[in-house]
Amino acid sequence: MNTLVQIVLGGVLQGSIYALLALGFSLVFRVTGVINLAQGGFCTLGALLVYSMHVDWGMATLPSALIAMLVTTLLAAVVGRVAFVPGLSRLTNSNMLMMTAGVLTMFEGLVLVVWGSQPYALPPFSGERPWKLGSILIQPQGVWVIGVAGIIIVALGWMLMRTRLGQSLRACAENPMAARLVGVNVPRLQLFAFALAGAIGAVAGIVVAPAIALEFDTGRLLTISGFIAVAIGGIASFPGAIAGGLLLGLVNQLGTAYVSSLFSAALSLGLLLIVLIFRPAGLIRSGVVRRADVREEARVWAHVTRISSSNAWRWGGLAVLLALSAPFVLDDGLLGALIITLILFLTLIGQDMLMGYAGQISLGQAGFMALGGYTSSYLITAQDWNAVPAILAGMASSLVASLVLAAVTLRLRGLYMALATMAFGLLVDSCTVGFDDITGGPSGMVGIPSLSVQGFDFDTPARMYFLVLALVVLVLISVAGAMRAGFGRALLAIRTDPLAAAALGVNVVGCKMAAFAISALLASLSGSLYAFHFHFLSPEMVGAPRSLELVSMLIIGGEGTLIGPLFGAALITILPTLFQPLAIFKTLASGALLAGCALYLPQGIFGTLLRLVPQTKGRKPMAREQAA
Amino acid sequence: MSLELRNVSAGYGTGAVLHDISLRVAPGEIVTLIGANGAGKSTLAKTISGLMTPMSGEILWDGVPIHALPTALRLQRGIAHVPEGRQLFAGMRVEENLALGASICDQGRPGAGVLEEALRLFPVLAERMADTAGNFSGGQQQMLAIARGLRASPRLLILDEPSLGLSPKLVAEIFALIRFLRDRGLSILLAEQNARAALAVADRGAVIENGRIVMEGPAAVLLHAPDIAERYLGVGVAATADSGEVTRMAARLRACVWGDAGVAG
Ligand SMILES: Nc1ncnc2c1ncn2[C@@H]1O[C@H](COP(=O)(O)OP(=O)(O)O)[C@@H](O)[C@H]1O
Ligand SMILES: [Mg+2]
Repeated sequence: MNTLVQIVLGGVLQGSIYALLALGFSLVFRVTGVINLAQGGFCTLGALLVYSMHVDWGMATLPSALIAMLVTTLLAAVVGRVAFVPGLSRLTNSNMLMMTAGVLTMFEGLVLVVWGSQPYALPPFSGERPWKLGSILIQPQGVWVIGVAGIIIVALGWMLMRTRLGQSLRACAENPMAARLVGVNVPRLQLFAFALAGAIGAVAGIVVAPAIALEFDTGRLLTISGFIAVAIGGIASFPGAIAGGLLLGLVNQLGTAYVSSLFSAALSLGLLLIVLIFRPAGLIRSGVVRRADVREEARVWAHVTRISSSNAWRWGGLAVLLALSAPFVLDDGLLGALIITLILFLTLIGQDMLMGYAGQISLGQAGFMALGGYTSSYLITAQDWNAVPAILAGMASSLVASLVLAAVTLRLRGLYMALATMAFGLLVDSCTVGFDDITGGPSGMVGIPSLSVQGFDFDTPARMYFLVLALVVLVLISVAGAMRAGFGRALLAIRTDPLAAAALGVNVVGCKMAAFAISALLASLSGSLYAFHFHFLSPEMVGAPRSLELVSMLIIGGEGTLIGPLFGAALITILPTLFQPLAIFKTLASGALLAGCALYLPQGIFGTLLRLVPQTKGRKPMAREQAA
Repeated sequence: MSLELRNVSAGYGTGAVLHDISLRVAPGEIVTLIGANGAGKSTLAKTISGLMTPMSGEILWDGVPIHALPTALRLQRGIAHVPEGRQLFAGMRVEENLALGASICDQGRPGAGVLEEALRLFPVLAERMADTAGNFSGGQQQMLAIARGLRASPRLLILDEPSLGLSPKLVAEIFALIRFLRDRGLSILLAEQNARAALAVADRGAVIENGRIVMEGPAAVLLHAPDIAERYLGVGVAATADSGEVTRMAARLRACVWGDAGVAG
């Protein structure tokens, strides 16, 4: 009995933090219609600022907490003023999502540059000695967490329901157009909501910091937990956010106590998937029809940019010739980076088909890489399979997973689809960590041999390079062909308007499933090659951060261009190799690039290049076709 | 306070939807914009209230250009817009909707009493102040939308399709209300597909077709102009052709407003 109370208490504690994070999400979402993935970044930043002031400079906790909160809020206001609010009037919801992912990455990069990658532990505010309540032990920090969460929830509720400001905020959430018409300054309130969410995030980070080890990427984990909490509870309602947070905390603690700490993450993800499938809007719905549903449909898509067929062959041929000479001119380090770029590009081609053409956001593509990589590596190392059947088996497992995922998520649109794919990626993550007999757990799988086909070993960088290059060219030609043919047009039609596409006789379900399946197959293949290349595979190589990185590469390179992601992948993979001393800035730079591209270059680098280069005599590869 | 549009063009994205619109609303006047679905009435209303900025042309309010001002400032100067489809804060209470309507002017302008008088005209609202707006019937929602617009004590009220989807009895009530407001000194710009009812209540009318004003004049004249009768009132030419006087007047009117070339119809 006592243990149960103890566990429930732990669940409430953890749940309070999730609830705070979820409140931040919900606040920004209701007022702007956008999921702000940067939310967790505010937490880390606030907490580390307190650490520096308190531990390094010896300031008292309370003043350092206040200053940290102020600084974080100011930073949030600047980000909101410069990027977030301007983006709202121009970008689609999915691009806004990408932009906030970029901002999150920038925060991580900033933390990496200032504080480095080691973990920090803030001392608890009121000592470490647990308080006794009868026979129940309570950590003083837990009281802080629950107390602060309670105060914030009550204060926020009072502000929203009882003040003039809150009334205007709710008006923006209900109907932004009508809010403008009654004279509410909507952009200013959007900025206010964003900054307030930053402040809440900072406070959440500060009070929870003594209970966890803070690292540069803790923000990402907090974002994901808060995101899951809010998705479970219902993003459009504040009680939903709070309930979702508490529920998630309880499930986590109960799972850890009675099942296994390794699978408690899987448990909460399972809960998320179930909620998404049966009640996509969350357990607690808001009373009225949400404007967000309207916004999800009101996407203004950028045009798909294409190169004319003859130019594509000409320039593609030239590029292949150049690429063939690479092993003879590059050193091994660069060649290695190039191989990785090409391997990731294989995944990206599929992902571009899925996101750029079919308009289905996938934040879990690395999950398919993991399935492929781990399956084939396990079969080769532990079961003595040959490479080719092992790779095919890996692809088969990804195919099955993608079809199951597609079947359960096909009803979901936009935001929820993104959520479901992310949950899938995280689920695979927690399995690769959890099944440590097979996968080697967190430390990874070692001793994966080089790829060997019919006795021929691809054991030098040059051999691996030629193999991957050949595969990329083959895949690119086939996919480009399919995109120019009926399949590509069907996907574009679905992206533009699924109902109209269905009315025109496009098999919407079939096409989406096919796009999903093909992208999963490609990711799986690339996951296997990745493992063979490194002779090693660990969860972080193909985990959720990798999924986000893939999305960055896609957006930076240019969605809907097929070739563009190659530029994105090259930029993020090769540049840090070229400028080793600057590698610490890699995260910051890629975050800035992602946010900048989402904001200013919706067609990415490649798409913008295509538009910029003048079209002379049809000799340059610029003949653009615009998809209706 | 008079509103004047000079050669206003506006649109969504790159293409213009409104072309060279010129229009005047004098103080205490009801001007109705009539035209088919998609003609550009709502776009014009949004351009005047500041939800959209014109691509070219000028909007003058009492001689002062206002087309660069944000919506809130235009509202502060007395231009209120009751949008198409009511656009209430559906999840909020009636009193909250009304309070939000007054976001802009706490100080209360002369004529703030209009709302109180108007509320007496629709007692339902006064009775159900604590109810959620989204649960109201269409007619009550329209009343509330107008009341919310009045709450800012405007001098010009832009009403976009206030009769849409209402029963004939409610339509009559709405139009009676519009007259009542005009008698209290408000100027009213009324965008309507229900041309007959709108022209019956209005002082002047303008016909908008494919984003251009193709005809403009006293409401009584337009009501009897054969083109209008045929296109917007559902009456054949034969039925009204006997009044040759009116036909000639409409033709003259067109000629002097638009010159001979400007007329599409
Ligand atoms: N949000 C929008 N985006 C693009 N075009 C629009 C939008 N709203 C209206 N339009 C177009 O502008 C034209 C005029 O529309 P509108 O002003 O709503 O007409 P009305 O109010 O007279 O029915 C129509 O052709 C319509 O297709
Ligand atoms: Mg309209």
